Amino acid sequence: MFNQKWLKVTLIVGFIFLLALPLFGGGGKEVKEKYEIVTVVKITGIPWFNRLEEGVKQAATDLDVNSYQLGPADADPAQQVKIVEDLISKGVDAICVVPNDAKALEPAFAKAKDKGIIILTHESPDQKGKDYDIELIDNVEFGRHHWDKLVEFMGDSGEYAIFVGSLTVPLHNLWADEGLKWAKEKYPNLKLVTKRIPCGEDQELSKRKTMELLKAYPNLKGIVGFGSLGPPGAAQALKEKGLCGKVTIVGTVIPGHAAPYLKEGCMQWGILWDPKDAGYSLTWVAKELLEGRKISDGMQVPGVGKVDLDGDVIKVDAMADITPDNVDGFGF
Amino acid sequence: MKNLLKHHETYVLLVIIIFSAIITVINPRFLTLENFFDVVKSYSFIGILAVGVTFVLISGGIDISFTAVATVAQYVMAVMIIRYGGNIFTAFLLAAAVGISLGLINATLIYFFNIPTIITTIATLNIYYGILIVISGGKWIYALPGWFRAFADIRLFTLCTDEGIKYGLSIITSIWILVVIIAWVILRYTKLGRGIYAMGGSMNAARRAGFNIFRTQMFVYSFTGLMAGLAGLVQALLVQTVAPNSIVGKELDVIAAVVLGGASLAGGVGTLFGTILGVTLIAIMSNGMTLMRVSSFWYNVFIGLIIILSVAFSAYQRRTKAKRAIAVEVE
Repeated sequence: MFNQKWLKVTLIVGFIFLLALPLFGGGGKEVKEKYEIVTVVKITGIPWFNRLEEGVKQAATDLDVNSYQLGPADADPAQQVKIVEDLISKGVDAICVVPNDAKALEPAFAKAKDKGIIILTHESPDQKGKDYDIELIDNVEFGRHHWDKLVEFMGDSGEYAIFVGSLTVPLHNLWADEGLKWAKEKYPNLKLVTKRIPCGEDQELSKRKTMELLKAYPNLKGIVGFGSLGPPGAAQALKEKGLCGKVTIVGTVIPGHAAPYLKEGCMQWGILWDPKDAGYSLTWVAKELLEGRKISDGMQVPGVGKVDLDGDVIKVDAMADITPDNVDGFGF
Repeated sequence: MKNLLKHHETYVLLVIIIFSAIITVINPRFLTLENFFDVVKSYSFIGILAVGVTFVLISGGIDISFTAVATVAQYVMAVMIIRYGGNIFTAFLLAAAVGISLGLINATLIYFFNIPTIITTIATLNIYYGILIVISGGKWIYALPGWFRAFADIRLFTLCTDEGIKYGLSIITSIWILVVIIAWVILRYTKLGRGIYAMGGSMNAARRAGFNIFRTQMFVYSFTGLMAGLAGLVQALLVQTVAPNSIVGKELDVIAAVVLGGASLAGGVGTLFGTILGVTLIAIMSNGMTLMRVSSFWYNVFIGLIIILSVAFSAYQRRTKAKRAIAVEVE
């Protein structure tokens, strides 16, 4: 008896709540007139994409569009595809995606094209099915820069390893490819000890992998980490083993997160761009396209920089070095 | 000897020994105290979660929400100690209190609505995690207090390698050891523990035998919640970063380790020793792969193979036993 009564009450309350839902989304008509530009990131609730969202929100006010950000709870390609497909059915004006898996998104992008929805990507220059990809760095230069910095600290010979977020993250692997090519040409005495390790989006795992690498390759002198949690995890392992400075760590990091490790000397150099600029640029380009304007060389993305158009890839150079001295000045 | 061969644990242990021998031949640094202490420290987080999951599985239920419970406990703990200060004991109390409360909510839902445990806990996982993300906005916390950082560095004893690298029994590892001992005593030597096994074997039989199902179920889920809370704290100690998305998603890794250790998804079966072996096997597989210099591309293939191998051993043994049993009946 007791059980049934409660079940009924719950069901009724739930039903009333569902009926009342449309009330919460009020004012739909006014919003409709604005362009609906949605940014879909790899994963929600991590600092990198929280910062990107700030750019999306700023664009919403500056450009007077209805722009917002969505993303799966973990970096799962399938979930991301689902979100994009839902947006296509909803009929938004433009979708900007930071892909988890470039291939997995292709069918959804084709569908969007049929419906006339603009597709922009970020961190995926070779993406099929996009209108434009926007890069805030020159990816070749970005990859090489990591190796240049690695060599600056560890010397131009010795053993090193590479962390990536996962083996399907387009940009991490592109940087690694470019860096490895550069190393072959310029630093032939560098020796990569093992294939790239997919741990850079998990600090605990990065720490563990670093510990293991130190035992498997006692002569290890450096780690290049792509994915914002790889370098801090590696730095922590070095700290615990008392090896700070003996093994060089360079890579992509969130300044606020890496600050203690950079200052303690457990990590040497951070490299990235400000994701807020990415969020802003994506929305800005989407609006330009929706209003029928063409993107051309030399155009100015307000507050970010000058456009360097390369086919369907829009490059705006905004690479930043993070050092122990400037790490506190980034504001994120 | 014959008796030993009847236990699933024997086979897992056998696989562990064979695998360890192979790794050691390829890289002798595997079988060093330094590596041992490093591995048990790294796996104390998974290990504590696994203790909680063992209890639920034995009781005939399943809990998926424990990763969300761990995350919420960890986040609440971190926010409170930063805002109001405190010491390691307040941190422990906070994480434990949040864990137990969320576990009690699970138990209440399961008992009163009588919904299958897997559905209930999938739902509560989403609710707990969802509310946390809404309130926190997914913000990470790096600036943990100095005493919190210092506590994580404590070693009960310290040794030194030839190269001058220090290692030893970390305080974090000893939390895991303590938890295992307490859990073992409960399961093995208390009426409550026997009740958990009885309930997992057959709910009705347990009720008729006089076990208080309501109280036992409340205990099981709040205990799993407590373990999740402690694991959340331990994970924060390990990485010194509190990120709301870093634990959720690891449910299956933990459940796999426990099932590998012999606990049955059908309930009534399982031991803590088995669970420890399951976690150990997963741990040395990951550790050993890198130490054997196997390319990371191959990890998943090997992990799958070894799971099948170790389960197949005991499944085969059970099957032959079943065959024999039928033969006796026919006679």
